[in-house]
Amino acid sequence: MSETTTAHSHAPQHSSDEPPRRRHWLLAAGWLRSFWMTGFFFLLGMGIVVGLRALGGYDPALDWEVVIVVGALTMAPLGFLSGIGAFDYWVSYAIGRPTRPEDHSSHGAYSWKDYFKVNTDHKVIGIQYVTTTIFFFLAGGLLALLVRAELARPETNYVDTQTYNELFSVHASLMIFLFIIPAFAGLANFVVPLMLGAPDMAFPRLNALSYWLLPIAGTMLLASFFFPGVGAGWTNYAPLAVDQPFGNVFFSMAVQWAGASSIMTALNFLVTIITMRAPGMTFWRMPLLVWANFTTSLLVVIATPFIAASQFLVLFDRMMHTNFFDPGDGGYVLGYQHIFWFYSHPAVYIMMLPGFGIVSEVISTFSRKPIFGYRLMALSLMAILVLGFSVWAHHMFVSGMAGYLRVPMMVTTLLIAIPTGIKVFSWLATLWEGKLHFSAPMLWALGFVTMFVIGGLSGVMLGAVPIDIHVSDTYFIVAHIHYVLLGGSLFTIFAGIYYWFPKMTGRMYDERLAKLHFWLTLVAFNATFFPMHLIGIQGMPRRVATYEPQFGDWNLFISLSSFVLGASFMIFVYNMIVSWKSGPPAPGNPWRGMTIEWLVSSPPPVFNFDEVPQVVGSPYEYGVKGARHAILNGDRATDVEPVRTP
Amino acid sequence: MATHAEAADHHHGPPIANQSSRVDSRVLGMLLFIASEVMLFGAFFTAYFFVRVVNGIAWPSEGIELPVFVAGVNTAILVTSSFTVHWALQSIKRDNRAGMQAGLVLTLALGFVFLLTQAREYSRVGFAPSDGAFGTIFYGLTGLHGAHVFVGLMLLTFATIRAFRGHYSAAHHHGVEIPGIYWHFVDVMWIVVYTTIYIL
Repeated sequence: MSETTTAHSHAPQHSSDEPPRRRHWLLAAGWLRSFWMTGFFFLLGMGIVVGLRALGGYDPALDWEVVIVVGALTMAPLGFLSGIGAFDYWVSYAIGRPTRPEDHSSHGAYSWKDYFKVNTDHKVIGIQYVTTTIFFFLAGGLLALLVRAELARPETNYVDTQTYNELFSVHASLMIFLFIIPAFAGLANFVVPLMLGAPDMAFPRLNALSYWLLPIAGTMLLASFFFPGVGAGWTNYAPLAVDQPFGNVFFSMAVQWAGASSIMTALNFLVTIITMRAPGMTFWRMPLLVWANFTTSLLVVIATPFIAASQFLVLFDRMMHTNFFDPGDGGYVLGYQHIFWFYSHPAVYIMMLPGFGIVSEVISTFSRKPIFGYRLMALSLMAILVLGFSVWAHHMFVSGMAGYLRVPMMVTTLLIAIPTGIKVFSWLATLWEGKLHFSAPMLWALGFVTMFVIGGLSGVMLGAVPIDIHVSDTYFIVAHIHYVLLGGSLFTIFAGIYYWFPKMTGRMYDERLAKLHFWLTLVAFNATFFPMHLIGIQGMPRRVATYEPQFGDWNLFISLSSFVLGASFMIFVYNMIVSWKSGPPAPGNPWRGMTIEWLVSSPPPVFNFDEVPQVVGSPYEYGVKGARHAILNGDRATDVEPVRTP
Repeated sequence: MATHAEAADHHHGPPIANQSSRVDSRVLGMLLFIASEVMLFGAFFTAYFFVRVVNGIAWPSEGIELPVFVAGVNTAILVTSSFTVHWALQSIKRDNRAGMQAGLVLTLALGFVFLLTQAREYSRVGFAPSDGAFGTIFYGLTGLHGAHVFVGLMLLTFATIRAFRGHYSAAHHHGVEIPGIYWHFVDVMWIVVYTTIYIL
């Protein structure tokens, strides 16, 4: 709840009416308690299953598949969360104890150990998010390299076909649900409250909970290799998914946990942005990153329940033998695809809009120019949001769906190119005659614009029904998705990480290593994915472990390039670790940015501000004499007259 | 490794955040959560639409008669509980603690009766979730709704416990109001489910 808004105690926090209670070491919130509570809750779930099945007369009462779904994938994670302390406040609220909403004892990080605890500070949560998602990014990348190793030669080499299916399925699931979506949420978690001039998010404890759901989802996806079955692609189409081995439930449940996490975060962002903006911060003075997260959060709140439902229905079809998608018994076999893509098409904008926001910040700051067409930039985000809900069936042109849906879906798909084009041209116009500074964040942003245009053009091609029919399920699709998600989203994530690294850690990264990382990634990325367009048009099918020998040379080249691509991220990891430990201290505003996060120290104070800042102008008035976006309390004496720009 | 604390004076509370909207953040949070819940129901109703309208199966399946009257009485019970929770809220807004407590307890009792009636219906209705697409959709939608009634009852239980332990007053009644909003949502959703499954 909005406790932080009511808290106004300038007294030392530990001297409130009630001293913090010392708990027995087995009962104190933390990893030890989470360890035994995970086991305890698993047994509890097992007891419920066995008890209910015995009561209902099912045979056998101890069905391990049901026990795993209820005990290991539902109850055990709840036990973990209770143990680590994510529910402590709410439990004492629920049983009627007096609560201390202004308690900030779990706020801020005082040593590295605090990053491994439930923390309510949005800055700590942001860092927890980003580091966790990078871990899953590396895991997912490793799986991709295994896929490429298998594809280096035409015949099956290292893994059998089912394992191959699981490799690319888990690769995609990790990258989408555990990397791109939450990495954006993590960056925004750190930056958005600072940009708004808010001391924290609206619901700090909900924020902490939504972080701790992520490791659960990621662990489930990785654990699925011990229970084979996540082999139906990240799309998990029913009825194929229902016919997969039992391990498929790990995908269904991991998506529930990751989805719950994103809904909670989105809700938190929306409430924060609506109710906690600093005085003077009207909607038309919000930085575009805030706009981007506002629209993304709306998408998440509206769309994510559909993927949750799609996975529930698959789970029911498997575990309870219902007939949602079973055509033999009255079910509608295409229903899954409609429900799934009604989420998953908006989801590609969930994976792109926050990146648009990051790039708008970076390009404006490093061109030393106001963003071109600020209002249109914000409105085009809203246009993408609305149009994004009207295009889902363009993923189903060859599925056998009703023919009359094709052309309308094609038209709306092509329409989306308009707001997206507005954004691209606005960035270019911002760069035009700017004083460009080619620091690492700017390089990534420019790399993004270039790669995203290539991905966007192949997207327009795919949006046209005749071309789509020809290249459906070929490597052309693989090339397209990697140009928009790797060349698009991933590049913006790197732009964001390098841009805010000084703010997050208080240290500067190594610029030369960052540039080496950029150029190596850019070249290796294009060498890996551009040839896929060619072999795709020639008809090489995706998602198959073997292929015709005629594609052998290109595939060997792609595989070798992909290993270079994988190696390039090691530079990033090394740079991040070493710079965080011993980089030179960062000044408060290394990029001379105007948005509010650059007005505080690096890293920011634990409560962000002593006093909420006053917003006096647009966030992008670079190069305008005397222009200010916001003023902090200390500045009042030397305050310059705010300049209104035309 | 630099941490945020180093730059901070940690004997210091946060500044008062600016309130940039007249809407209370907690109420707004609940409304947005309900929006996502509506979409969850929307996805299940999409499955209903595909099975009943696109596939056009017999509704209900041959030889099955849905207990429309009993479910109708159950609907009346749930609608009544919406009024009792509203009464609880209005009472505490006037600092009438007894009214709030009575309203909450009545709401809990009515919600509990609703769930029991639903469970009894399941045991007597004569078909299972695996019996064709009709059984699937019937159990899917009523079960999803039942789960929401259960969640609503949990929230109301917490509010009731706090009501009896001396919390809430005319100035601080959000702990009753917010579970109440959720309860109204559960109620309205049931009317939609009842109409589409039993009556139409």
